[in-house]
Amino acid sequence: MKELQLWFGLLARLVLGGVLLLAGYLKFDELDKSQMAVRAYEMLPVPLANFIGIVLPFFEIGMGLLLILGAGIRYSAALGALLMAVFVIGISQAWARGLSIDCGCFGGGGQVEPGTANYLTPLLRDIGLLALGIYLFRFPQSKFALDKKPQSADIEKGI
Amino acid sequence: MSSKPKPGKDNFTRNLVIGVVVGVVLIMLVPTLISNRTDTSAKIPASVSAERGYGIVFNGELTGVPVLNIYEDFQCPACGQFEIAQGDYLESLIEEKKATVVFHTLSFLGTESVLAANAAACSADEGKFLALHKMLYQTQPRENSGAWTNESLVAAGESVGITSESYKKCVNNGEYAGWVNNVSASAAQEDVNSTPTVFINGKELKRGNEYYDRALFKAAVERG
Repeated sequence: MKELQLWFGLLARLVLGGVLLLAGYLKFDELDKSQMAVRAYEMLPVPLANFIGIVLPFFEIGMGLLLILGAGIRYSAALGALLMAVFVIGISQAWARGLSIDCGCFGGGGQVEPGTANYLTPLLRDIGLLALGIYLFRFPQSKFALDKKPQSADIEKGI
Repeated sequence: MSSKPKPGKDNFTRNLVIGVVVGVVLIMLVPTLISNRTDTSAKIPASVSAERGYGIVFNGELTGVPVLNIYEDFQCPACGQFEIAQGDYLESLIEEKKATVVFHTLSFLGTESVLAANAAACSADEGKFLALHKMLYQTQPRENSGAWTNESLVAAGESVGITSESYKKCVNNGEYAGWVNNVSASAAQEDVNSTPTVFINGKELKRGNEYYDRALFKAAVERG
């Protein structure tokens, strides 16, 4: 049972980390578009949205790498889960308000022609990834990780 | 990967990896943040107004006429459709001095957009912006297919009668690359999230038929 959990931990790391790394990689050299994607959610003041549009791809790449390598799993999983929660909120509010935008999750983004927006797929994907992030935060032990010390100290701190 | 977990607290490798990853991300991020700002020292074409978001301005001196701000990317297929539908009308507005028209040539679709926008700025200095603008949309290739190079953009210029050496030099040296970046930065501040986007007297024209139907677009312009 314990062994199985370690393998599942590895799978969760590779999926969440892999998606983050891919998402960041597809966006980091198209920052005009990335900024556009964040602005289109109409949640943030324009200058802040532009700032996040630039920072986000780099942040995703960093977290993706750490998760895949298994370094600082608890922290990178917590940040990854937080990011997914923000995406879920962003996509839900865009859907609820009837905005016509591309999710911009893997590059692209911005407004699209009315009626062509697809919110369900990214929403379900991000909810799944959020669950993986929460799982890794709770059970960071996994196969082939650089983290060696049992992280009971972190758990006691309660983050 | 295969090293056995050592007992105790040997977390040197892990801490090193965290340090390196965070460090590299920051080293890449900081210059990017700086280069995405407006560079006020960048060379700009004569017909460009920094106050008008670094757009290429026609009839800037007119008062009491509608002001159209058009945001487009030479590689965007919808912008090609917009040009086909409204290009002649826009030209007539400019020629008959019935409107101030400002073109913002964005480049979010990739490097070939940057090259095209630079060439467009070079053509503006030759007084041939509208001709090259039309020509580029009429021959618009697939996005980033490699069709638009400095060489082919010089040739496109020649095909609309720009033969001067200065145009050639301007295209080949990417003289307005800094300006292209400024146009993007300024559009980002204006919250332009799609192309084509048209503002009539500062009001954004809602996405939909008005962009691609001559009569509806004309009505929207005349409403102001």
